[in-house]
Amino acid sequence: MAGTPRLHVDIEKRYPGFHLQVRLEVGAEVMVLYGPSGAGKTMTLRAIAGLLRPDRGEIRLDGRTLFHSDGRRQQVNVPAHRRGVGYVFQDYALFPHLTALENVAFGIRGPDRRERALAWLRRMRLEHVAHLYPSQLSGGQRQRVAIARTLAAGPSVLLLDEPFSALDRDAKRRLQGELRQLQAELALPVVYVTHSLEDAFAVGHSIAVIAEGRVQQVGRLEEVLAQPANRRVAQAFGLPNVVEARVRAHAAEGLLLDWDGSELLAAGRDVPVGARVIVHIRPEEIRFIYPDRPLSAAVRHNRLRVRVLEHRHGPDFRLVRVLTLGPTSAELEVRSPPSTYMDLPLAPESELEVAIRPSGIVVLEAAGPDAEG
Amino acid sequence: MLSALVVSLKVVGVATLAIAVLGTLLALLLARARFPGRTVLELLLTLPLVLPPTVVGFFLLYVLGRGSPVRDWLGLDLLFTWQGAAVAASAVGLPLMLQSARAAIAAVDPVLEDAARTLGRSEPEVLLRVTLPLAHRGILAGLFLGSARALGEFGATLMVAGNIPGRTRTLPMVVYDAALNGDLALAAQTSLLLSGIAFLALFLTRRLEQPRHR
Repeated sequence: MAGTPRLHVDIEKRYPGFHLQVRLEVGAEVMVLYGPSGAGKTMTLRAIAGLLRPDRGEIRLDGRTLFHSDGRRQQVNVPAHRRGVGYVFQDYALFPHLTALENVAFGIRGPDRRERALAWLRRMRLEHVAHLYPSQLSGGQRQRVAIARTLAAGPSVLLLDEPFSALDRDAKRRLQGELRQLQAELALPVVYVTHSLEDAFAVGHSIAVIAEGRVQQVGRLEEVLAQPANRRVAQAFGLPNVVEARVRAHAAEGLLLDWDGSELLAAGRDVPVGARVIVHIRPEEIRFIYPDRPLSAAVRHNRLRVRVLEHRHGPDFRLVRVLTLGPTSAELEVRSPPSTYMDLPLAPESELEVAIRPSGIVVLEAAGPDAEG
Repeated sequence: MLSALVVSLKVVGVATLAIAVLGTLLALLLARARFPGRTVLELLLTLPLVLPPTVVGFFLLYVLGRGSPVRDWLGLDLLFTWQGAAVAASAVGLPLMLQSARAAIAAVDPVLEDAARTLGRSEPEVLLRVTLPLAHRGILAGLFLGSARALGEFGATLMVAGNIPGRTRTLPMVVYDAALNGDLALAAQTSLLLSGIAFLALFLTRRLEQPRHR
C-alpha cells in the first residue's frame, strides 16, 4: 500500500446465482483488480462509480462517504455525477458526435473549458487530432482521448476497465508507461481491472485477486504470485502444478509432505501435522537430472521418476509436460530457459528423473471442502 | 382552397409541436424505463396506426366531449374547432413518431450515458447532451413522418371537428368535397399539393435514415 488508504470499499450485492462481496483499500497507487471474467471486477468498478447500487456496505473516498447502507435503510448514495470518480470504460465510450477536443471538454466546468481541454490533449500528445471525431482516430488515440477526458474532469480516483485489451502490443506498452507516469504525477488512487497477468505486472503496484465475487488476496504483485493464498488465486493466475497433499511432519529443512504416497520436502510453513493442504510446485523449480553426470546439491531432494508427455518451445522458455511414475501418478509442468537440457532426450515417452527444490514447493492453504483429491 | 390551406397549416403546426414534445418524452419512457404495463402502453399508443381513423375519432369524441376531464375540468370545448382537429391529427401522427424515435433512443449505447454521468453530468444534462443528440436523426425522421400523416388526416378530424369551411375544413376535405361536387380541377390541384408535401417528407426521412457520411 502506497501511503494511507484513500478509497475504502466494503460492499455486498446479491444476484440470483452470484454474490458479490468485495473489500478493498486503495492508496495513491495502481491497484490491479485481477481475476477471470465473471468474477465481479466490472461490477465492483460500477459500484464505486455509482452506476450500480450495492445491497449494503460502504464506499468512502478521501474521507467522504459515497455510499452507506445497512441493507434496510439507505443512508447515503451520492449520485454518479457528484462522486468525483473517474471511469475509463472498456471500449473507450467516446461520444461519437463530438470531436476529440469536445470529448475532453465534456467533463470540464468553467469559462476556460476549451483551453484546459487543449492542455490535456497536448499533455497526451493529441493536439493534432483535436478536431477529429472518434471514428477517425486509431485505437491508441481513442484510448488516450478517453483517459484525457476522464482526468480532465478532475477525479479523486481513477478506475480503468480492461483499458488496453483492444490495442496492439506497442500501443499497449506505451500507454501502460504513460499511465504509470500520470498516476505518479497526480498521486491518484487507481484501480485497474484486467485479466492479463502481463498487464498487471506492467502497471500494478499491488494486486487484488478477485474470484467468484470475492477478493481472495491482496498484496504486492510479486508476493502474491510467489505465495498465492489459495487454490482460486492459483487458478486465477493459471498456475500449473497445483496439487493436494498431507502434512507428515515438520523437519529442520522444511515441511515433510505425503503426496499420494510420494514424500516431498516443501518450504517450511506453519500448518498442523496431519492437515490436508493445497500445494503449488513451481514449474521452474523442477530440474531434470542428467543420468550420466554427478549429482549437484541442487538436486538432492524430491527426486521423482517421470515420463515425458509433451515437449514445447516458447520464445523465451522450454516447456515439458511430464507424468510422474509411482507411487504418485500426476501431470507436472516443467519450465526452463530455452538453452537448458540441450543434451537430454526429452522426446515424448522418454523416461527420466527430476528433482524439485524444497523452496519450489509452496503450501498455499488447508484443503477446503471444495478441494479436489 | 386558400382558407383550407391556412386551417391545415395551423392544425399541422400545433400537431407537429405536440408530436415532437409528447413523442420524445414517451419514446424515452418506452426505450429506457422499465415499468409494469409498458408493453400495453406502447400498444395503445400504436393502435391509431392500424385502427380506422373514424374509430380514433369516435374515441376522441369521448375524450374531448361532454363529461370528459378536458371539457368539464379544464373548460376547453375543442369539438368542432381547428384545435380539436389538431388533437385528432396528433393522435394519428404520434405512433409514427414513436416507432422511429423509440428505436433511435434504444440504439444509443447506455455506456455513453454512464460515461457522461461519471464526467459530472446530471440526468437532464445527459439527456440533452448525449441521448437526444445521438438519437436526433431518428427523432427528426419520426417527426417528419408524423407531421406528414397529420397533414393528411381525414377520418378522425371529420368526426371530431367536422367540415366547416374556413374553420375546420382542411386540405384533405377540400379534395373530398371537390371530387363529390365534380370540381375535378380543384381536387387534382389539392391532391398534387398534398402529394408533393408527402413526397418531400418521405424524402427527408430517407435522407436522415442514411448513415452519416465521414
